[in-house]
Amino acid sequence: MSDYIGEVVESGTKGFIARAPRVGEAPPFGSFVRTDAGSPVYGLVYEIITGSREPGRKPDAYDMSMEELRREQPQIFELLKTEFHVLTLGYLDAGKIRFALSPLPPPIHSFVFECTDDEKEALSSEDFFLRAIITSPNVPADDLIISSLLGAQRARKSDKDFMVRMGKSLSRFLKDDYERLASILRRLL
Amino acid sequence: MIRERKDFACELSDRIRLAKEELRLKSENWEELSRKVEESRTSWLVAGISSPLDIVRPLPERPRNYTALSSDGSQIFPDRHEALPCYLINISSIVLTYGDKAGARLGSGPSLFYRDEDRFTTWGGKRIPADSEVISLKRTLMEFERILELVKGNEAVGNTIALSDGTLILWRLEAAPPDFRNGIMVPFLRILEEFRTLRVPVAGYISHPGSTDVINALRVGLCPEKVSFCNQCPYTELPELPCSPIEGLTDRFLFSTVLDAGEASAVFKSSSKILEMYGEHHIYFFYINIGEEIARVEVPKWVAEDGRLLSLVHTLIFDQARKGKGYPVSIAEAHEQAVVKAKDRDFFFSLIREAMVKSDFAVTVSRKGLSKRVPGV
Repeated sequence: MSDYIGEVVESGTKGFIARAPRVGEAPPFGSFVRTDAGSPVYGLVYEIITGSREPGRKPDAYDMSMEELRREQPQIFELLKTEFHVLTLGYLDAGKIRFALSPLPPPIHSFVFECTDDEKEALSSEDFFLRAIITSPNVPADDLIISSLLGAQRARKSDKDFMVRMGKSLSRFLKDDYERLASILRRLL
Repeated sequence: MIRERKDFACELSDRIRLAKEELRLKSENWEELSRKVEESRTSWLVAGISSPLDIVRPLPERPRNYTALSSDGSQIFPDRHEALPCYLINISSIVLTYGDKAGARLGSGPSLFYRDEDRFTTWGGKRIPADSEVISLKRTLMEFERILELVKGNEAVGNTIALSDGTLILWRLEAAPPDFRNGIMVPFLRILEEFRTLRVPVAGYISHPGSTDVINALRVGLCPEKVSFCNQCPYTELPELPCSPIEGLTDRFLFSTVLDAGEASAVFKSSSKILEMYGEHHIYFFYINIGEEIARVEVPKWVAEDGRLLSLVHTLIFDQARKGKGYPVSIAEAHEQAVVKAKDRDFFFSLIREAMVKSDFAVTVSRKGLSKRVPGV
């Protein structure tokens, strides 16, 4: 289990929160990830937070470089945690990815892995993930669209039309908000 | 109220001035005061003197690589209103390594005590239930056992310091009967002996100390008698005793005017009665200005008499306190890791009740315990 990138510490139907094994080492914003236990759940990282492990203790300023801190205040890295929030996109149902909320959320303490290129390709084969982002409250939707599209494009090396297809989908989803659509498309270039 | 406080502060500063002057004067002929202190019989704890009193030891250079080890404990005392008579002691482990191989290990481990041999102790030949006093002493012993385990489990023993929160003088055992006292003291001294064999200095750190040992030595110096016997004081008829002008001061006040940040005082010998049992581990102490306050540092005799170990304690305690913004970071973390909060206590007893129910074991709590949990209107 050395290659896991997180462990589920809070689990819900619409998404889950995972703790990174080391401080500051969360998967990047917009990454496609999956859980391992039970029926795997797929999702997108939309928030990464590093802070104190204990609610009553707040990180303080030390006026030191990161290297100095590691040398002279090594305990602080044991007292911090990095957690990332994941928006659920779908789950594995009889060997096939279903673009719907999983009947059961991932079990607490499931490990989280970064999706393989094949999984990323499957998750982005349709525009369902874009719709999931746009219809989710409390996620930075536009930036998540951009990051996830760029990530999917990297995984789909040979798919030249991918961005065009997704752009068309976006223009449908955002047909009532031209300014927003234009902003997303401009930032994708 | 403010005026009274102000008057008191003015009076205090006069006393501190006088104490500082005495410190300087007595340092010129410290051997004489040392002898007088040795021969006198007072009702207070008086610092043993083996060097000029006003020595200021500058901050030694800190080794680039070092390890600070510490442990602290916290407990859930037995509650006779709860379902089972048991208690818990949580002991923390802190290993902070600095320099090239920097790293930190923070953790804690609880121990549950429920057997008869844990719940009862022998006190003056009688078998009595372990109360808060007994459990606290047991906890102190466990903390030192843990630090020793950490020393043994740590690869690099050079430049290592073992730090404990509070005094190394187990004065609470003074009033205990010999059977109980030996039960704590013998293993405690054995642990100190192991530290000595490993050449790892152990130090007790006291923040904001209220001790007056050095002031008391100066009071002995102020006494016009050749040797002071307080219970035969010939000056009780006078409006003010000759030793009174600096009474009420603590050593902290005095050394705050003597030491700059990083500097440490001379090393003094504690005269606590319990130390008669300590032998080679007799406790000595010094004061250090850590920048934010004057702290008292206690070390066993073999550290006090070893220049290298004493310098190491001096510089590492200062560094630890700087890192902890005024309080040694390893001790602060040891506390944080060990602490058992009221919420944890409630959870602990509710877990026990749950486990009993799951095992079909009748749970009976006192009506008082019940009434506290479910207060009616």
